[in-house]
Amino acid sequence: MIRFLNVAAIAALIGSAIYAYSIKYQTIFYAEEIVHLQHEIRVEKNAIGLLRADFAHLSRPERISALTDRFLNMQEPSAMQIVPIDALPEKLANDDVIARKLEALGLAAPTNTPRDVSNIDPTTPSAKPK
Amino acid sequence: MKAEIDPETHEGSGGAGGPPQARPRSLLNRIFSTKLDKCTRRTKLIAGLFILVYGAIAGKLIYFGLLPVQPPNNYSSASDTVAAARPDILDRNGQILATDIKVTSVYADPRRIIDRDEAVDQLTSVLPGLDAKELWQKLGSRRGFIWVKRAITPTQKQAIYHLGLPGVGFMQENKRVYPDGPIAAHVLGYANIDGRGISGLEKYIDSQGLADLNVAGFKLTRDDLKPVVTSLDLRATYAVRDELEKGIEKFKAKAGAAAILDVNTGEVIAMASLPDFDPNQPVLALDPNRINRMTVGVYEMGSTFKALTIAMALDSGKVTLNSKIDARQPLHYGRFTIHDFEATHRILSVPEVFVHSSNIGAAKMAMMVGVDGHKAFLRKMGQLTRLRTELPESAEPLVPKNWGPLNTMTIAFGQGINVAPLQALMAIGALVNGGFMINPTFLKRSEADAKKSETRVISALTSEEIRYIMRLNAEIGSARKANIKGYFVGGKTGTADKIIHGRYSNDRVFTTFMAIVPADKPKYLYLTLLDEPQGLPETYGFHTAAWNSGVITGKIITRTAPILNMAPRQELPPEPFPMLAKAGYSQANVPETSNGGGLH
Repeated sequence: MIRFLNVAAIAALIGSAIYAYSIKYQTIFYAEEIVHLQHEIRVEKNAIGLLRADFAHLSRPERISALTDRFLNMQEPSAMQIVPIDALPEKLANDDVIARKLEALGLAAPTNTPRDVSNIDPTTPSAKPK
Repeated sequence: MKAEIDPETHEGSGGAGGPPQARPRSLLNRIFSTKLDKCTRRTKLIAGLFILVYGAIAGKLIYFGLLPVQPPNNYSSASDTVAAARPDILDRNGQILATDIKVTSVYADPRRIIDRDEAVDQLTSVLPGLDAKELWQKLGSRRGFIWVKRAITPTQKQAIYHLGLPGVGFMQENKRVYPDGPIAAHVLGYANIDGRGISGLEKYIDSQGLADLNVAGFKLTRDDLKPVVTSLDLRATYAVRDELEKGIEKFKAKAGAAAILDVNTGEVIAMASLPDFDPNQPVLALDPNRINRMTVGVYEMGSTFKALTIAMALDSGKVTLNSKIDARQPLHYGRFTIHDFEATHRILSVPEVFVHSSNIGAAKMAMMVGVDGHKAFLRKMGQLTRLRTELPESAEPLVPKNWGPLNTMTIAFGQGINVAPLQALMAIGALVNGGFMINPTFLKRSEADAKKSETRVISALTSEEIRYIMRLNAEIGSARKANIKGYFVGGKTGTADKIIHGRYSNDRVFTTFMAIVPADKPKYLYLTLLDEPQGLPETYGFHTAAWNSGVITGKIITRTAPILNMAPRQELPPEPFPMLAKAGYSQANVPETSNGGGLH
């Protein structure tokens, strides 16, 4: 009986030791993972900071305005193009016979923005404003 | 102890004379025999030693346990703060004006360098900008740490890494970048390579405690720092700078500056001063020609000062809008004579003095108030003392030492006193916003916050009168070039002759233009100034403010008003000046007319 108790005690001792060690190693493992993740977070944050700076640099008004001058043929908006909401006409009733016919003709494709006529005046290219 | 050892040694030494084979046995015997009865003290000694050793180990363990927990990645968190982290600077809409990025820097430990010549050779081959001789000397020093080069590119880092030089390492640092380049450079200032603010808002941020924290050794990271939100609008600032740049080029001016002030909160919405610098390459910032002309330069503001004179006269009750001022003859004082630039030779009403920009009229109105009253008023308007804002750079106005009647007469039309343009902007803002003096700021501020610090300097009625005559000037007077349709602009020009060799020069001028938008309930005050603009064929050779600063201001208003959420009005306000109409000033609400008026 005493021998059995001894064996049981030893088994319990070994078991608890194994359990304690496994907990310990798990803790070490998680601690390492935390350090690793923290490092990754820092790297990502640095990358985000760099990308934000990059985005701000690429979207700086100076560059955008140079690009629009070069690639978009748009007019400068005039003050008279800006109107309050109330000045807009009422929305038309949905059942519009003519619109339906036009749609059937395939004329619903988007229209281009009117080109800046002053910029494409063929007669005086040198007088073009820069 | 002696009692135990002695018999044995005695036995040993005694055995020296005995047979030689007996010695090893007795030695073994001595080692392995345990005579417990004789060994108690020895056992106690050994036990005591064990207790001591284990006690020391346990003590050390407790000591380690009590030590504060070190952050696991010690090296990199220390290197993060090599160049101190700084907070982002944002514009009022959250766009980035200044931010930190991480860069790699190369350092060396001279004591661990094996071959100095080889190290110098190889490092300079990868980093071509490096001074070989200086590096050679630095590597010869006995210090444990020197910077080889800061902020290198990833390719350079890779190349140095592959050199495999002992004693050469890398560290991550913060580097300050200004993604928008020279836009708002004067407001932002710049920070040096160690992350210390040198000028502008960067220096202001340091003075708010950041520098002290860094010196005290607090390791601040980006996450600890709240971004600084400025009052600037990035897009408006760009538009202002762009139009100013075009204008300076067109009118061949030496320099120029422009700004937009929110008159109700005192926020500076946009500011540009040309020539300027790129804070990413701050060497140019030290050039005296690139100072911030809005705050550091002091100038004679010319006729824009007449608004202050007229406001003073109206507020003192000495004149009303209906008063008549005799401007038929030039004004004589001692041996000095004051002329009008474009003389009318008739009796003028107060609005006409403003619209025709009559020097005689302004001088006479200032004299009605008197020298002391004039001084007191300008002091109240903040024109005689240094204006302090968040920007550390500021300039003291140049005020005459012995201020006599002649000084008052000339200062009435803006000559004889030099103020910083931002200072004048603040005063005009107070004239038109209903009469409240608000200190300008470069940080975002709400109207409620501004209300807490404002002081009333003129009455609401006088403020409305000033708005009325500025509007009148935009309709029929010299500010017509900036009368942008839909925004109900009011304005005032100013052309001051520059002093060259102690005399006022006729052909070198300093032109200013101020505009309020909209004149019935001002929100924004625009200022443009040009240093020595030239007359052009299309301006008929004129170099007065209306033809250059006025035109530029008009363009700035057209471009920035939609950005600043100002909806153009299709119809003029029906009753823009209600108090004046009630007071019986009949012409107050008469819509646009178009009779004469020169462009000065």
